[in-house]
Amino acid sequence: MNDALLIPLAVCVLGAALAGLFTATSLGQRIPTRNMGWLLAVAPAIAFGALIAQSPAVLAGQTLNWSISWIASLGLRFSLLLDGLSLLFALLVSGIGMLVMVYAGYYFAPKHADEKSSVGSGESESNTAPTPHSPLPNADARFFFYILLFMTSMLGLVLAGDVITLFVFWEGTSITSFLLVAYKSKDEDARKGAFRALFITGGGGIALLAGLVFTSSIAGSTGFADILRQGDALRASELYPVMLGLIALGALTKSAQAPAHFWLPGAMSAPAPASAYLHSATMVKAGVYLLARLHPALGLTDLWFWVLSLAGLVTMLIGAYVGFKQNDLKALLAYSTVSQLGVLVMLIGQDTEIAFKALVISILAHALYKSALFLVTGIVDHETGTRDLRQLGGIWRAMPATCAVAIVAALSMAGLPPLFGFLAKETLLATATHPNVPAIVDVVFPAAAVAAGALILAQAGLIVFDAFLGRPKAELHPHEAPLPMWVAPAIPAVISLAIGLLPEPEALATLLARAAAASYGAPVKVSLALWTGINIPLVLSAIAVTIGAAIITLRSRLRPLFTNLSGALSLEPLYTGALAAIDGLAWLVTRVQNGKLRLYLAIMFISAGVMMVTIGRLSPPSLPMTELGPRPELAALRFFLLLVIGVAALASVLLRRDLFAIFALAASGLSIAVLMILEPAPDIALVQVVVETLTLVVLVLVLTRVPREQRERAFEFTFRQTRPSLIRDVLIALGSGAVMFAIVLTALGTRPRESQMTPFYEQNAKPLTGANDIVGAIVIDFRGFDTLVEIIVFAAAGLAIYTLLRYASRKAGDRDDDAPVLDKSMLPFRGVASPITSPFVQALALLILPFTLLLAATHVLYGHDQPGDGFTAGVIVSLGVATWYVVFGYAETKRRLAWLQPSAFIGAGLLLAIGSATAAAIINGSFFSPVDFGKLLGIGFLPRGVYLSTATLYELAICLTVTGGAVLMLDTLGHPKDSDAETARQMDEIAVLRQRGEVTLDEVAESEVRGQKSEVRGERLEVGD
Amino acid sequence: MDVLLALTISALFAIGVFQLLRRNLIRSAIGMAIVSNAINLFLLAAGAYYGEVAAYANEAGQRSDALPQALILTAIVISMGGFAVVLSMLYVLSVRYKTSDSDEVKGLTH
Repeated sequence: MNDALLIPLAVCVLGAALAGLFTATSLGQRIPTRNMGWLLAVAPAIAFGALIAQSPAVLAGQTLNWSISWIASLGLRFSLLLDGLSLLFALLVSGIGMLVMVYAGYYFAPKHADEKSSVGSGESESNTAPTPHSPLPNADARFFFYILLFMTSMLGLVLAGDVITLFVFWEGTSITSFLLVAYKSKDEDARKGAFRALFITGGGGIALLAGLVFTSSIAGSTGFADILRQGDALRASELYPVMLGLIALGALTKSAQAPAHFWLPGAMSAPAPASAYLHSATMVKAGVYLLARLHPALGLTDLWFWVLSLAGLVTMLIGAYVGFKQNDLKALLAYSTVSQLGVLVMLIGQDTEIAFKALVISILAHALYKSALFLVTGIVDHETGTRDLRQLGGIWRAMPATCAVAIVAALSMAGLPPLFGFLAKETLLATATHPNVPAIVDVVFPAAAVAAGALILAQAGLIVFDAFLGRPKAELHPHEAPLPMWVAPAIPAVISLAIGLLPEPEALATLLARAAAASYGAPVKVSLALWTGINIPLVLSAIAVTIGAAIITLRSRLRPLFTNLSGALSLEPLYTGALAAIDGLAWLVTRVQNGKLRLYLAIMFISAGVMMVTIGRLSPPSLPMTELGPRPELAALRFFLLLVIGVAALASVLLRRDLFAIFALAASGLSIAVLMILEPAPDIALVQVVVETLTLVVLVLVLTRVPREQRERAFEFTFRQTRPSLIRDVLIALGSGAVMFAIVLTALGTRPRESQMTPFYEQNAKPLTGANDIVGAIVIDFRGFDTLVEIIVFAAAGLAIYTLLRYASRKAGDRDDDAPVLDKSMLPFRGVASPITSPFVQALALLILPFTLLLAATHVLYGHDQPGDGFTAGVIVSLGVATWYVVFGYAETKRRLAWLQPSAFIGAGLLLAIGSATAAAIINGSFFSPVDFGKLLGIGFLPRGVYLSTATLYELAICLTVTGGAVLMLDTLGHPKDSDAETARQMDEIAVLRQRGEVTLDEVAESEVRGQKSEVRGERLEVGD
Repeated sequence: MDVLLALTISALFAIGVFQLLRRNLIRSAIGMAIVSNAINLFLLAAGAYYGEVAAYANEAGQRSDALPQALILTAIVISMGGFAVVLSMLYVLSVRYKTSDSDEVKGLTH
C-alpha cells in the first residue's frame, strides 16, 4: 500500500473541482483566463512532481500498489499500480498536461486590442472555422474543467491496477473527450465529430468491458498482477479468441486503428490544446497502453501477432497516405497520428525484445513532437485565423520563434538526426528487419515501414515548407504569439532535440527499459545512442529519407495524384449506414409509439394475456358448481349481487349519457360493498361505500368541468368508430376476460385452504394490540407502516391534483374560459351555490356537517373494536364538506369553514402518525408498536372502550390526513371555473334577489328551463336595482 | 360459488378493459375504476377460506380471512387516490386540448 499513488489523482480532482467552481460561479469572472491557466496548471505540476518522487523506486524495479475495497460483495477493489509502463504514461499525461494548461490560458484569452485589426482581416478571409473568442473572460473556465476531468480519467487509466478500475477511467476519457471535442457546441461539425468519436470509442468500450470480464473470470481476479500471472491459463482457454477479439476491438477503436480510424480526423474540431493533449499524447494511446499492459498475459500467440500486426500495418499506411493530401494542418497531423498509432500497435504485435524497445521510444518520441506540432498549429490558427496550407506561407518572418519550434518538432517527426524521432524510426526499422519475425514479414514490413516513413517525412515537409517557409501571402498578417504560448510547444521540441544530442540520459533510459520490460514481460535493454554504425536500419532509413525528400520536391505535382481513399478504406460508410439505420428504427418506433395511449394499452393487454397463456401455466381445475359456500341461505342474495355488479358495469358501457354511466359505475361499486357485508367483511364494506361515494362526487365534479359539447363529441367517436376497431376492442376485452377467468379459477382452485398468516393475526390481535377488529389491527398495528405509506399516497394525490390544476396547468397557460356556457343540470355539483337551493336543504346541510364530525369521532375512538377506521372517518368528514360546497357554494363554504385548512390537516396528520410511532419506538423500542398512553400516564377518566393508545392516535392521524387530502381534491375540483366566476356572481345576485322575495323560485327555474337565463336575469337585476 | 365469482371478476375485467380502450377519456376513467373493482374482488376471493362471522376476536365461529381484507382496504384507498389524479389530468387535458377524445390529444409537449 502506497498512499502516494493517490496524490496525482487527488490533485487533478481538486483542480477539476476548482475549475468547476470557476465555471459555475462568478468567481471565474474575476480571474483572467491566462492566470487561470497558470493557476490550474499547478494540479498537473503537483501530479508530475509526485510521480517523479516515486520514480526512484520504480526505476529500481519495484511495482507500487494501492487499493481499497470498492464493492465488497463482488470482490471488487479500486486499485492503482505504478510500474515502468504506468510511470512513462503518467509522466506524459501530467507533464504535457501542465504545458497544455498554461498554453490554453493564452489560447483562450481575449487578444490585445492592438492585435485585433490585423487578426480580424485574417479571419475574414479564411474559410476554416475561426478560433472562438468568447466575449466574457470567464466563459472558458469550462475548458479547464473538462480538461482536468479528462486528465483525472487519463491518469486513473494508466495508473489502474485492476481491469474494472481501468474500465471506469477508460469510459471517463471517452465522455470527457466528447465534451472537449464538442467544446464549440454551436458548430455542427464539432457536435458531429464529438458524437462520432463517442460512438466509436464508446462502442469499443462495451466490447472491452466484455473482454475484460472474460479475462478476469478466467484468471480468477480482476487485478492486473493476477491476470498477468495467469497468462498460460488465459492463452490455453478456448475463449481466448473471443477475449482477445473483444479487448482488441476496444483498444483498437480507442487508438484509431483502421478501419475505425476515421473518428480521429473528425475529432479535430476540438480546440487546439485539447487536440494536442488528447489526440497526440494521451487518449489515443490508451488503447496502445492497454495492449502493452496485457501483452504478457494475452500476447505471444499467432493470433495476437496477426491481429495487431495487420491492423497496425494497414493503419500506418492509410494514415501516411491520406495525411499527405490534407490541406488542413490539423487534419494532416491527425492522419500522421493515425499512422504513428498504427506503428505502435504493429510493434506490440511483434513478440521481440527490440519491438518493445521501439515501442517505448516511439511512444515518447511521438508524444513529444506531435504535441508540440499540435500546439504550434493552434498558434498558427490563433494568430493568422487559418490553418489551411493553401492560404498559409512565409509566416516565419512574423513568428520566428514559433517557426523554430515547428521546424525542430517536424524534424523529429520526419525521423531525421539528431532528433529523438530519428532514434524511434531507426529502432522501428530495426524491428522490421529483425530475424525472429515470420518470413513473409521480412519483406512486407520493412517495405511498408519505409513507405510510411517516406510519406511521414513528406508530411513533416509540408508543414515546414508550405506553412512556415515559402512565399509570404499578402492577406496574412500574423503576429508572434505571447511567450508562454510558444514556450509550451518548445519544451517538448527541445527535449526531443536534447535526448538526441546530449550524452545518454541514464534515468530516462532506465525508465524506458522498465516500461518496455513491463510490457514485454522480460527485461529489455534500452540504449538511447543515435549512432549505431552503418547497418540495415540505417540503409533503410536513408532510402526512406531519399524517397521522402523526392516527394517533398515534387509535392505540388504529386499531391493531386493522391486519391482520397479515406472513405473507401474506413468504416465510415458503415458508421453512416448505422446512423441511418438507427434513424430508420426510430422512425419505426415512432410509428408504433404514436402517442395513442389506447394502442399502448391494447398491446399491453394482449402481451400480458399471451404471456399468461404461454408461460403462465394456467391450469384451471374443475371447481364444483354447486358448492354454495358458508351460509347457504344467503346464496341467492349473492347471485343477485354478482349479477347486479356485472350488469351495472355493462350499463356503464352502454349508457349514452356520461352522468348515467357514472351512476351505473357507482351502482356496481356499491353492490360490491353489499357483497362484502355478506362475506362478511364489514370493514371493507364501509370503506367501499364511502370511497364509492367520494369517487362519485369527484367524477361528477370533473364531469361538470368538461364541456358537454366535448363529451358528446368524444362519445360519438366511441361508438361511431370504425367497425373493425370496435370488433378489435371487443375481442381484446373478451380475450382479457377469458385469461382473467383462467387466472382466477387457477388461483381459487389451487390456493391452500389453510392460511399461513391469518391465524397469527387472529391469535395476537387482542393480546398484542388490544383490538377486537382483526382487520383493523392488521392495518393499524401489524402493517402500520404500510398504512402510513398509504395515507401519504392519498395525501400526495390530493396535493398533486391541487398542484396540477391550480398551479401547473395555469402556469402552462391553460384557460377554460372559452368553454361553452354552463351545463345547468350540473350546476349544483359545481361548488357554485345554486339559486334554487331551498332553505330546508340549507338547514339540512348545516346539520349534516356536525353529524359527520360526530360520526368521524366515533370511528376514530371505537374503530379498533368496531367496523370503521380513521380512513372512513376522514372520507365521511370530507363528504360532509362536499355537501356544503353544493349547498352554499365555494366561496361561502370557504368563508364559513375557515378552520378547514387541507394542507395543515395533512401535515398535522402525518406529524401525529410519525410522532406517536416514534414515541412508541422510544418506549417499546419498536416503531409503530402498540402503547397505551392512557394507562401509562394513569389517566382514568376515559369512557369504557376508549383508549388513549397509539392505535387511537394513529386513527386520528389517518383521519386528519385523509380529510386533508380529500378536501383538497374537492376544493380543487370544486373551485369555480374562471369562466364561471362571472356567472357565479350573477347567480349570487339572483340568490340575493330571491332572499328579498323579488324573484320566485319558479321564475328562476322556468327561465333556466327555457334557456333564457341571461335575459330573465338581466330584467330581474334591473328590477333589483 | 367460486365459479360464479370468477365469472363476475372476469366479466368486470373484460368490461373494464373495453372501457379503458375507449377514445372517450371519461369512459376510460370509468374503465379504470371497474378494473380496480375486479382486482379487489379477486383479492377477496383469494382468501384461504370463507367465514361465517366477521373477523373480530370476540366473535365465535369460523371467522372470515382477515389478511386479504386488510390488503383490499389498502388497495381501495390507493386506487381512489390514483383515480382522483387521473380524473384531474382528464380535466387538464380537456382544458388544454379542448377535447376529451384521447386520439385528439397528441404531442404532450407543454
